[in-house]
Amino acid sequence: MAYFIVVLLDDNRFDKIKGTELEKEVQYMFGGELRCLNVEVSEELKEKILKEFDTARIDSRGAITDVPVAFLRELFNQVADKKTLGGEVIEGVLAKVDEIKELAAKESEFLPAPDIEV
Amino acid sequence: MSSLIIERPLPHGGRLVERVIRDKEAAKKMIKGCPTYEIKPTLHYETGVPVRNVYREIMSICYGFFSPVEGSMKKAEVERILKERRLLNDWIFPYPLVFDISKEEYKELGVTAGDRLVLNLKGKPFAILDIEEIWEIEDPEELAHKTFGTPEDNPEVVKEPFNKKHPGWVIYRSLQPIVLAGKYTIINEPKFRAPFDRFWFPPRKCREEFDNRNWRTAICHQTRNVPHVGHEFLMKNAAYTGDVEPCHGILVNAIIGVKRRGDYPDEAILEGQEAVTTAGYIKSERRLVSMCLWDMRYGNPLESLLHGIIRQNMGCTHHMFGRDHAAVGEYYDKWSTQILWTEGIPSFGFPKPPTDVPYGLNIRPQNMREFSYCPTCKEMAYSETCGHKREKLSGSFLRGMVAEGVQPPAIIMRPEVYKAVVKWWKHFNYPFCNEKYVINKEKELEVDLEDL
Repeated sequence: MAYFIVVLLDDNRFDKIKGTELEKEVQYMFGGELRCLNVEVSEELKEKILKEFDTARIDSRGAITDVPVAFLRELFNQVADKKTLGGEVIEGVLAKVDEIKELAAKESEFLPAPDIEV
Repeated sequence: MSSLIIERPLPHGGRLVERVIRDKEAAKKMIKGCPTYEIKPTLHYETGVPVRNVYREIMSICYGFFSPVEGSMKKAEVERILKERRLLNDWIFPYPLVFDISKEEYKELGVTAGDRLVLNLKGKPFAILDIEEIWEIEDPEELAHKTFGTPEDNPEVVKEPFNKKHPGWVIYRSLQPIVLAGKYTIINEPKFRAPFDRFWFPPRKCREEFDNRNWRTAICHQTRNVPHVGHEFLMKNAAYTGDVEPCHGILVNAIIGVKRRGDYPDEAILEGQEAVTTAGYIKSERRLVSMCLWDMRYGNPLESLLHGIIRQNMGCTHHMFGRDHAAVGEYYDKWSTQILWTEGIPSFGFPKPPTDVPYGLNIRPQNMREFSYCPTCKEMAYSETCGHKREKLSGSFLRGMVAEGVQPPAIIMRPEVYKAVVKWWKHFNYPFCNEKYVINKEKELEVDLEDL
């Protein structure tokens, strides 16, 4: 089974990859309502991610989800920096695992809520 | 009357168990001079994090959700369940349910069979346990393995050995060694706090509500999640089953209990489900949101059996089951719940489906696949109907989106549901259950008690 992680692209993130080879890889989901990139993850790297982050899960699509937000932010940084969706971006993220865990520990206490009326 | 008409089934075991004393004076007399024990959460055997609170089992037993179970199980009953998934009175039941204490507590209490023990909750009298037998769990790890099965003993559905990553296995592995077996009776009804109070429909009240709504047939949707639009379409379409007409009602029954980190808070789940109705996506005359207290065991086919029992007791005629029903990880075959309800699982004691064995269930399974977005049809489409390539929906994917602060498109999560999520996000400063939520929840629980 092939695994992947979805990198969501809001306008700000999209601007950072616009005009690069990655722009061709952008996928549109749900009738064009969502833009994203799919980063492929090998079996070996999937196991490493699950081992390092105990909230991580594999969903019904084979997507790795429920990793810390800090992981996802770093993943985008790696993608934007290396301009690739290959295994090296996941390796780049895992190289910073301690830093991500430190940030994740803080984000498990507090995440700012969106400013919408409820 | 057409012979095809389906009537509401009797409760499992033939009658609803109701073990609740509402006369406070009578209750006071019942507990006079009895020893008292303060209910504590079961703590993870390694980490010390709460993984279960037996008060939820006492509530679900005494209000009849688990009929015909009446209390903490004797050793012979647990052994029979592990072997055949049957109670001593022959009715099918999936899990051992016990009142467990430490050896030190047992020594301190000094109780014996025949004694009545008062169970306090949050410092107030809550229930009594009339002790009929005291026995010891010799090997909790073996109990945990036997509860969920092994690849060797249950090759039809168990794919991987269970371990400490499985929250249900951890519950049984973390049990204290001394079991006080006997019937529970609630002597001081707890009061649910908002928002839980408005979703409390124990079986008798639920059946009365069905009567008030003229629901002869009702299909249950099991949930432990904030609904996305795929869930909504599952409910809408599964409800087209029924008898000579679609089911009259959809009962959403949320399992409320100990949470895993990363789950949505129970409050957001209930109000998110409610928002589907209040915003009119499924009208309120046709849908009722309710809850049951239970610390999920994530036992896939076994959990589905418990769900069938709970919802038959609540009065449902049908129950929808999907892929990976009440599952976590890849311990069970993805379709093992559907295998149970269509073929049976002989190694678990079911040579036939649980509806086709003696002392089995009368609720009808509605085995569903999944809904996802089809960009060609431009709508939510059923996996077994739509011939196009579709975009799968997943709760985990949505959680990631929410965590990143991206509002999901309305085609996958209704804005009213998202608002319910954000409401409780603002309340808890976090959109999901974190360690703080889990620990506070197990301190505060869903209820308060008055003095007796």
